[in-house]
Amino acid sequence: MNRTSVYSLALLVLLLLGWELAARQMSELVLPAPSVVAATLFEGIKSGYFWPHIVRTSLEVLLGLSLGSGLGLIVGILMGEIECLRKLFFPYVVASQAVPKLALAPLFILWFGFGMTSKVIITALICFFPLLENTVTAIQYTDRNKLELFRVLGATRWQTLIHLKLPAGLPNIFAGFRVAVVLAVVGAVVGEFIGASEGLGAMIIASQGMMDTPLMFSVLLLLTLLGMVLYQIVHFFENRLVKPYKKETDK
Amino acid sequence: MSFLRLDRVTYRYQGSKPVIDGVSWTINEGEFHCLVGKSGCGKTTLLKLAAGLLQPDEGGIYLQGEKVTKPSPSIGYVFQAPTLLEWKRVIDNVLLPISLKRKPTKEDYELAHDLLERVGLSAYRNHYPAQLSGGQQSRVAIARALIQQPALLFLDEPFAALDAITREELQDDLLALCRLQNTSVLFITHDIAEAVYLADRIAVMADGDIVYALDVHLPKPRALEMRYEPRFNELCFQVRQAMEGMRR
Repeated sequence: MNRTSVYSLALLVLLLLGWELAARQMSELVLPAPSVVAATLFEGIKSGYFWPHIVRTSLEVLLGLSLGSGLGLIVGILMGEIECLRKLFFPYVVASQAVPKLALAPLFILWFGFGMTSKVIITALICFFPLLENTVTAIQYTDRNKLELFRVLGATRWQTLIHLKLPAGLPNIFAGFRVAVVLAVVGAVVGEFIGASEGLGAMIIASQGMMDTPLMFSVLLLLTLLGMVLYQIVHFFENRLVKPYKKETDK
Repeated sequence: MSFLRLDRVTYRYQGSKPVIDGVSWTINEGEFHCLVGKSGCGKTTLLKLAAGLLQPDEGGIYLQGEKVTKPSPSIGYVFQAPTLLEWKRVIDNVLLPISLKRKPTKEDYELAHDLLERVGLSAYRNHYPAQLSGGQQSRVAIARALIQQPALLFLDEPFAALDAITREELQDDLLALCRLQNTSVLFITHDIAEAVYLADRIAVMADGDIVYALDVHLPKPRALEMRYEPRFNELCFQVRQAMEGMRR
């Protein structure tokens, strides 16, 4: 452990202490102390109360993420490769970027019901755009010299895509995926806010109704944890796939 | 018999005045030709035309009697920058031209090792390009261009970004490799001494045309001492005067 991570840990302890002290001055309804939140969290996990909600939300996030980013990647490749497609659709992509996707959540619940489908679709829609945009850019702005190299070597269009454009664009595509992962959690939770009986987002709304602030805080912690785990997974794959060749010092 | 023949080649960018204006040139088998000229005189454009990367507006390019319409599989091309694929190891970069056509065989790997050994990089074959110096990257690019044993090699100022000593080493490496495979070469440079050292024949370019041609009769193989002989300097001076002359 190096010096900065020690400081970083010390900061966490300091923050928790400050929180604990501040919470003593206030009602538990406004700000529950970290010790109370930790107890609620532990209790909920031990009794199995949280698990179905965690599973539900994780499932929504993962399904939405794979659907949305998978489609975003494929459409991005098509639009990056085929110029007329890009010219045809790009104005619409820009326009749909401006639509606040979360504002569409009530509509999707109307269309797809209160079950999991509506949340998966909201999540997928949110994840779609960062992947699409980064993939199109990555494919379009491949190094001209390398493209000429592939022309000299007589590579087909497919080979140029597989052996040059995609690997060269991988860091860019991964950057989009990292954004998508964080947004995916937001999408699923907001979907659950609007209409769901199960899931961590629904729990937040329920705890609000019950005025159970410690419960709300523990759910927030769980959501943070979920987001961090997903982010770390992406980071792990990025390290494996992208970093080895970037700089020798990054190893 | 002529190996590569450029016949009154003209090339212009949309309606403007031609960047290449009626250039004719011939390279015979096994010859090493250098094209010198100031920046912006159309050297790179001419090289791309000769390689089939660009199509001439008028005139034609013939490789072994056949008209060139796209890059032929029997040529190699080395760009100004090494243009290695950063995500592939050195050995896979060298084998890239082959792996685009078929799965590399054991013989291909042996040839690649052989080439890397010749350019002094056999210890680096499993490194990534980012771990190599600029000179080492240029060496890999040359090995990659030679892996298919091309009959004709095009090089576009491949050593321009290197220090003088490294450049001289690479020049010797290149000459040795080309002699080995009897490769014909068209080499672009703006360095007069480099052109005189490497070439059998030098073409001086200015404003899109070849304005002066010079046969270099220096003993082969070339050696370091030759760079400091009066005959060498005389040739350099001749080329320089030809380049200067165009300014007036």
